[in-house]
Amino acid sequence: MKVAMMTEGTYPFGFGGVSVWCDQIIRGMPGYDFRLVAIVATDAEQVVWSLPDNVSSMVKVLLWGPPLAGHAAGRREALPLRLLRELVDTLLDSSAEVQPRFGDVLRELSEFAQRGSLSAGLASEKAVRLLSEAWRDRWSDTGQPAPTLHDAVTAMQLLEHSLRPLSYPPVQADIGHAVTNGLGVLPALAAKWQYGMPMLVTEHGVYLREQYLQNRRGPYRWPVKAFHLGFMRRLCALGYSEAETITPGNVYNRRWEERLGAEPKRIRTVYNGVDPANFPALTGEPEVPTISWVGRIDPIKDLETLLRAFSLVHHEMPEARLRLFGSPPKGREPYLQRCRALATDLGIGEVATFEGRIENIRDAYDAGRIVVLSSVSEGFPYSLIEAMTCGRTCVATDVGGVTEAVGDTGLVVPPRNPALMAQGCLTLLRDAELRHRLGAAARTRALENFTVDGAINTFDEIYSFLGAGRPLPTAPPEPDADDQSGELLPWDAAV
Amino acid sequence: MSAPTMPVRREPPPHPSGNGAGPEVATAAPAEDPRPRDVEELCEQFVLVCESAVDPLEISSALEFDGLSDQAVRKRYGVSDVFALAEEMYRRVPRRPAEPEPLPDPWRVSKLRPALHGLLYGLPTVCFPAAAGLLAGRGVLSVLIVALLTSWALSQALAYLGYVRLGRGDAPQAARLLLVGMAAGTVGVVLAMAVTALVAHVHIPALVFGVGLGAYMLGATVLMVLGAERLLLVVLAPGVLGSAVFLVLGRPPQLEYAVWGALAATPLLALGLAAGRAAREAGLLGRGGRRARTGLSPAKLLVAADLRGALPSAGFGLVAAGLLVLPVAVGLPAHQGTNTGALLASLPLALSMGAAEWMLIWFRRRTQKLLRATQELRVFSIRARLVLFAALSQYLAAAMLLAVAVIAAATETRLIYPHWTLLPQIAVYMALGGAMFNALLLQAFGSRTFPLVACAVALAVEVACRGLGVPAQLVVCTELLVVLAGYAAFVLGKAVRHAC
Repeated sequence: MKVAMMTEGTYPFGFGGVSVWCDQIIRGMPGYDFRLVAIVATDAEQVVWSLPDNVSSMVKVLLWGPPLAGHAAGRREALPLRLLRELVDTLLDSSAEVQPRFGDVLRELSEFAQRGSLSAGLASEKAVRLLSEAWRDRWSDTGQPAPTLHDAVTAMQLLEHSLRPLSYPPVQADIGHAVTNGLGVLPALAAKWQYGMPMLVTEHGVYLREQYLQNRRGPYRWPVKAFHLGFMRRLCALGYSEAETITPGNVYNRRWEERLGAEPKRIRTVYNGVDPANFPALTGEPEVPTISWVGRIDPIKDLETLLRAFSLVHHEMPEARLRLFGSPPKGREPYLQRCRALATDLGIGEVATFEGRIENIRDAYDAGRIVVLSSVSEGFPYSLIEAMTCGRTCVATDVGGVTEAVGDTGLVVPPRNPALMAQGCLTLLRDAELRHRLGAAARTRALENFTVDGAINTFDEIYSFLGAGRPLPTAPPEPDADDQSGELLPWDAAV
Repeated sequence: MSAPTMPVRREPPPHPSGNGAGPEVATAAPAEDPRPRDVEELCEQFVLVCESAVDPLEISSALEFDGLSDQAVRKRYGVSDVFALAEEMYRRVPRRPAEPEPLPDPWRVSKLRPALHGLLYGLPTVCFPAAAGLLAGRGVLSVLIVALLTSWALSQALAYLGYVRLGRGDAPQAARLLLVGMAAGTVGVVLAMAVTALVAHVHIPALVFGVGLGAYMLGATVLMVLGAERLLLVVLAPGVLGSAVFLVLGRPPQLEYAVWGALAATPLLALGLAAGRAAREAGLLGRGGRRARTGLSPAKLLVAADLRGALPSAGFGLVAAGLLVLPVAVGLPAHQGTNTGALLASLPLALSMGAAEWMLIWFRRRTQKLLRATQELRVFSIRARLVLFAALSQYLAAAMLLAVAVIAAATETRLIYPHWTLLPQIAVYMALGGAMFNALLLQAFGSRTFPLVACAVALAVEVACRGLGVPAQLVVCTELLVVLAGYAAFVLGKAVRHAC
């Protein structure tokens, strides 16, 4: 069976959890023939994974740089003004009734993009005129800063780049599997419309939620931001409604998916998994009471809170150590500098050490008596389930699917709260019996629920049902994410 | 989760409750959630988020990002979930979006750079009269024309390829490409000279001069694309200083070999320094190189699409060189290498390219400001055209000032004895300069075919009417200026052209 897998900014061009997951799925299903459609920013990006043998082709979809050279040549048909107007109208109208019309317009645009140059139509003076006039008609009564021509040009330009995936020939297969919502579903939608391919959408984080967070503080003026996010909201809602099956990486994400109109019966949560062979149970603990952290050095991991929490731990338990394993991605080096400076300011520069990338990640879990996760946003973090598989208990922030992963085998604390995080760490560091009991329970839980084989079996099942055109059997009812809280939630008392 | 594919800033916002500020006190604080218990207070805390939100979902994402869960919201505020709380907050707080922080102005560059460029374009002019001894004999004119056309075309194409690759954020690969391109280009110039030698019987010194000219152009292009203009001053120093001293001393024959040596040093330095610089940027020199450290396989050096894209640049280089050379070459007996009067008239044009660069930047900044201050397309297009007219006028004024200065200096040093017959030649170059300014402007705004075609037609007409001399050139160049300026006014009056 052939599967077209669509990614955006991840596999096989980037590192990180989503890419690891793609690699696991493809390698774990050698019986399937995978065709990759990878959306990347520019042509400069390079493949950083060695592609398994069952990847038979890859299309690199570029969002930036000059529009498809050669591809657009010979396509003289102009984008109909009516279509352009309807697109602008559906994007400026935020009412729920317009959603089906957006789907129709996008489908027409997708068909047009195979005949004429969509980029030329969207980057035209006509398009700028349409948007600026539509804005003027709607703006008079709002009393907000009026959109300028620069806003109109910028908004249309963003839309043009966002819709570039539609100008590539759809990749034919038995199933389209978008490994993200948003721009990543554009090639899956085009393939569905052209070849009738069933569509599967997997989300590790919530795409739309990340879009909101990214655009909160600029660089765009409000009218551009509203237009762009309006497009993203419509697109994500379309991705959910057109998908035959949606597989979030955790139950927590369901809330957003259902909020945006996903049919609950089409949602099936599939947790990430690790290969237990790579993470055998750890024997023994470091002599010094050590806390271990593993991940990318990135603001989203909120290392400031971790360092502040550790300074409180250190105050109570001067022999305690914090070891951080991982390196900043390109462009995030200043964040590492900031964290180092903060550690020095807090007087823990000697006992909280940044150790960089580690060859065998299991050694990082071995280095700590407990593992801690301080992120402000997560999907279903690998570091957590890896640590659990090794038999380490953890203190982790209550974000994304963390409570679902940890269950009652560790401590879950609210994000951005150094005091509670410190309290959790001290509790576990001081009580060896509790720590060992939770560590053993964590390993049992991980082996039962979060193995890579489990995830692969589920996708094997989903693929065969979708490929055969049969509806997926109804999934067992999933627990509400909120009910899966950790054993000790010190902040519960405070709420 | 995923690497950003859309260009947005990705710093998480500061913590609204102000955890980030204040003195660090290392005490185990009571485990109390600092969030307010009242929705109104929560609105105050999140006021910036609420005022700038495009819809309630944006507030939901901010609340969740701050650590609020459905469970906490139910207990604390008695609403069903985070989404319901966000809708309530969206209702309570009216929209009053804050203007984003202004981005750094990419066109804010020092005036020194364009001025330096102008100087760098103009300085080599001095070398031609000094090399007169090399440029004697049959076929010299063909050598010079072929050398100039080839090296202009190749260096324009090379610059295009380098800038395209740099624009993709791949500096090491861009440097590698420039290095390979420079080597290939030099081979190309040598081949062109060899073919010329076969067709026309030429003396070896003239051929060597032609190769040197091409090598200098290619090396200079690499250094400019890599932003190493200052090294170019080092490159030019021996040739230009040597020539200047030689000319000022009245071309003493005993210094002839010395000045030829100095002239030879310039292209050799250009190739050497450019190669060194490019190799360093490519990571081929020094500590292992960036690429080697990341262990990634490099992207393809050259793709067909880029090569196709470079064709208009090469064509424009060819045509522009033709337009510049023609007035110098026309009306000369075939054995004579240079026409001092016309050469001198071309010097202000070369210098004025610095002014052209500066006015191009000025035009960008003005129109960007205009785009941000205008709501109507009609108003924008009228004003943008006025800005264009002002830019062109300022450029022409600067070019004329330079012409006057050059003639005054040349008269003072007795290089020429000014005569009114020089005036039409200067007028030709002024018109040509204005035309080139418009062509550069159009190219900078992504319109490459029209200027190429217009210039090619003008060149063809000039070649066809070469018997008619300067008056024909003046008519053609003026028409070219008018056509290009008119087209620029048409194209650059569109708002969409100013997207960047």
